[in-house]
Amino acid sequence: MSETKPAPKTVADGNTVHGVVAEFSDVDSLLAACERVRDAGYTKADAFTPFPVHGIDKALGIKPTVLPWIALTAGAIGTCTALTMQIWMNGIDYQYIISGKPYISLPAFIPVSFELTILFASFGTFFGMWALNGLPRFSNPMFTSPRFDRATDDTFFLYLDAKDKRFNEEGAKALLGDLGGAYIEPVVEDDSPKKIPSFLLIAIAVVIAFSMIPALVVARMRVTKSSSPRFHIFPDMDFSPAKDAQQISTLFADGRAMRPDVPGTVSRGGLDWDVDFQTGIDMEKLAQVDAPRARQLVAMMQSDTEVVEADGEVAGEEEAVKEVVEETTEEVQADEPSTDEPSADEPASEEPAAEEPEAEMTEEAEAPAEEEPAAEETESTEETPAEEEPAAEEPAEEEMTAEETPAEEPAAEGPSEEEPVAEAKTEEPEAEASKPEAPTALAPASGPTVDTTPWLTDNPLAIDAAVLQRGQQQFNIYCSVCHGMNGRGNGLVNQRAQRILATTWTPPSNLHDATLYQDVYPDGKLFGTISNGVRKMPGYAAQIRAKDRWAIVSYVRALQASQNASLEEVPASQREAIEKKQSEVKAELEKAAAEEAAKAQKTAT
Amino acid sequence: MSLAVPNGLDNSVERPGTRAPLVLGESSYHSITEAVCKIAENPPSKLWVISFLVAVHLATMLGLCIAYLFYTGVGVWGNRNPVFWGWPIVNFVFWVGIGHAGTLISAILYLFRQEWRTSINRTAEAMTIFAVVCAGTFPGIHVGRAWLAFWLAPYPSLNLWMWPQFRSPLLWDVFAVSTYATVSLLFWYMGMVPDLATFRDRSKNPFRRAVYGVLSLGWSGSSRHWMRYEKAYALLAAFAAPLVLSVHTIVSFDFAVSQVPGWHTTIFPPYFVAGAIFSGFAMVITLMVPARAIFSIEKLITIRHLENMCKIILTTGMIVGLAYGTEFFIAWYGQVTEEKFAFINRAMGPYWWAYWTMITCNVISPNIFWWKKARTTPWIMFVVSIFVNIGMWFERFVITVTSLSRDYLPSAWAYFEPTWVDWAMLIGSFGLFFTLFLLFCRLMPIVNMAETKATLAKELHMAHKDGH
Repeated sequence: MSETKPAPKTVADGNTVHGVVAEFSDVDSLLAACERVRDAGYTKADAFTPFPVHGIDKALGIKPTVLPWIALTAGAIGTCTALTMQIWMNGIDYQYIISGKPYISLPAFIPVSFELTILFASFGTFFGMWALNGLPRFSNPMFTSPRFDRATDDTFFLYLDAKDKRFNEEGAKALLGDLGGAYIEPVVEDDSPKKIPSFLLIAIAVVIAFSMIPALVVARMRVTKSSSPRFHIFPDMDFSPAKDAQQISTLFADGRAMRPDVPGTVSRGGLDWDVDFQTGIDMEKLAQVDAPRARQLVAMMQSDTEVVEADGEVAGEEEAVKEVVEETTEEVQADEPSTDEPSADEPASEEPAAEEPEAEMTEEAEAPAEEEPAAEETESTEETPAEEEPAAEEPAEEEMTAEETPAEEPAAEGPSEEEPVAEAKTEEPEAEASKPEAPTALAPASGPTVDTTPWLTDNPLAIDAAVLQRGQQQFNIYCSVCHGMNGRGNGLVNQRAQRILATTWTPPSNLHDATLYQDVYPDGKLFGTISNGVRKMPGYAAQIRAKDRWAIVSYVRALQASQNASLEEVPASQREAIEKKQSEVKAELEKAAAEEAAKAQKTAT
Repeated sequence: MSLAVPNGLDNSVERPGTRAPLVLGESSYHSITEAVCKIAENPPSKLWVISFLVAVHLATMLGLCIAYLFYTGVGVWGNRNPVFWGWPIVNFVFWVGIGHAGTLISAILYLFRQEWRTSINRTAEAMTIFAVVCAGTFPGIHVGRAWLAFWLAPYPSLNLWMWPQFRSPLLWDVFAVSTYATVSLLFWYMGMVPDLATFRDRSKNPFRRAVYGVLSLGWSGSSRHWMRYEKAYALLAAFAAPLVLSVHTIVSFDFAVSQVPGWHTTIFPPYFVAGAIFSGFAMVITLMVPARAIFSIEKLITIRHLENMCKIILTTGMIVGLAYGTEFFIAWYGQVTEEKFAFINRAMGPYWWAYWTMITCNVISPNIFWWKKARTTPWIMFVVSIFVNIGMWFERFVITVTSLSRDYLPSAWAYFEPTWVDWAMLIGSFGLFFTLFLLFCRLMPIVNMAETKATLAKELHMAHKDGH
């Protein structure tokens, strides 16, 4: 009770004695002693053992525990909790439609119900057991004797409680002595100080006080108002520093809010190829001839993100055109009473209202609306003759050089040219026959409106065997269905259309028609036709990549050349084989002719 | 108080008419106490200190990787379209499976009155707890925003205004694994209380005495307490036994309920449970063989214990092999194009090396246990157990990654590549496991003294009878 008083382990002080305890060294003697104690009529006897001793319940007359019922109850509560929770949460309060199953779908609720049953039953068992045992209990009179430490090691203790009706200290001691117990001792009240040491109390108080701080801070924040934004430990991108384009950003080292494209990637519509390659048109020349169209094409190809160098040059030249146009329109509108420019433009631009989207693509909104009519005029009238001449001359010159250079490099030319030549050789006579007519066909092909577009005159690809083979493959996939494998315009679709007498069918062009030769139909134009279509033919820009369209152009040229090539154009190493085959064919033809003649003779006779 | 064993330390020989002893040598109750308590009471050996330092560093690496993951995002893993369940889920299933042997030993073998479990159950249960800690880490950090993982719990959220979806196997998994962790912890702790009381009563140091005193809850060894305690233990064992089966069944539902070819099979629950027991027993051997040598407890954890575990490994290994075969048979018999492809792809596809590693380790290597010599030679079983651990990790890798990397749409196929973070986290999880395990070895009773003494008492009783 108090520190000053020496421990009075006296038997005389009846109040402090809780019972009597004796030691046993093995299980068998303990069990025998237990039985004797039970038979002597003691009901509040207990044994303390280092391990559960089999049969001691019976020997001491211990009744079975109610623990299984606690476990059962807890388990049943678990099942009900789980089912109620799931039915309420998913079946009633927040209904999910999953695979068209009913909201209350019990089979799907089994796993969680099972788990919670086990969980609750385990909690019931665990905590129920400690509660029934009266544990935790840190102050126990049994622990006063230092000898009792061996109760968890190798010694067995038999204890007679003083609360038992039959308890009599001397009698109990005598009984235990008779039973063979050693070190028979009274169990006295634990005399260690019951007061909790002050340092422990202070420590606990300090810990509790500190643990209250966060709760108090939160509580204070709940009841006070603040103009500063909420405090988020994990912002989760809720407060990412969003910026508009062209704004200054402090987030990135370069100070720009807009991010450049990730290296190695192409943004949608932002292909970094030159526009000429994409359109087949020489944009520099087009800007001089037809600035609005050039600007439109450039804007379409490059959308809004990246401005390539070529575009910059074009834009520079456009400025000159634009200025001229603006001057003229200002003169026209000089007598109008408007004060600011946009409103002045509106009445004038009524006609080409449909062109307004174009205006957004260019930097200055008013310019294109005014330019459009002027551009149309130029297309149809004045400049046409002036531009057509060089357009017609240049291809011719360039074609010459283009054909000369491959001739100097037989390695590159050899494989590319030979195959088509060999394939189409039997048709040679027909192709040669149609060739002389080519120049005359120029005018009708252009039709009433003359094409002034400065098409690229030659293929921008470096042509080699691989490109031609790619072109052949793509041609066979996409073009041959109508134009035929040989390009004569009699593909399967055409044959079918002819057979069913399709009335709306426009027969595909014969690619060996002289109007489609490079001198009158430049490579760029052929590319444009593949890309955008012509007459009934749809554009293939969406299906075939630009590079492959150029490859097809090169293959078409090869097909055409195959119908017109002379033996000198074939590489020397191949000529022999061709001549041999030629002679074979000739021989066969002669033979066939001879046979037919013989037949004719026979029938005649 | 002693028991003479005629055939020395080898109790693996069955002698007709007698039960082979489970506690060997000149054992007494006190010698058992001494043998177990001195592991915690003596200063740590150099080997322990070195192992602990290594393990702590690896665990720290795991912690740093998790911090990096939280700071940067889940892109630090190799998880990419289409394999969004990469190593984190592989590791999760691997560790959960390992845990299951602990529960099996402590609960199912207890219910079947297999007394040979007594000296190994504590370590096995500890292994369960620590394996579940490692397992729980991975789905926890795999949810992306791990600080919102509490959204998995069904609580009335003012942010979401909605409840969890109870028809999803992933939510079942949350309940299964958390219940499993909780019940295993209760079971483990409850089993330790009497032994913690022994530690308390042996402690000279007042601080130690206070700590163990609090942990042992004032346990006195009263017969009435023992009676309720044993009842509670049996009840918990009875709850844990179906629980352990349900947990891995539900883990397998994560896969089997989906539509992915190679996952959508009804064989998964038994196949996963067998695999879990297989891998768990291998891990118990991996831990026990060195531990019994280092801590000199060969008389408590005897060759007979190890041999029995080897037999279980052999059995479950054959079950797992049968499951692999059955999967192929059903894929052929079912004639579903995608499923047929999925299994051929497992064995012959780009992950063939993982598949054949799995087959070699799981199906072929345990067959050495047909020979008694292998079953009774610790180093052989240690090597085989390592093989089985590797093989079972690969099994989960094969199931998870091969199926996801090539499912229905060939245009969506891709080859999974782990990053260094994946590697560091896998290795780090072993660090975490061994850190906890080594601490356990130093601070807690690694053998269930009370139960072992009870077994010894029974054997003494038998010997006593024989003597008459």
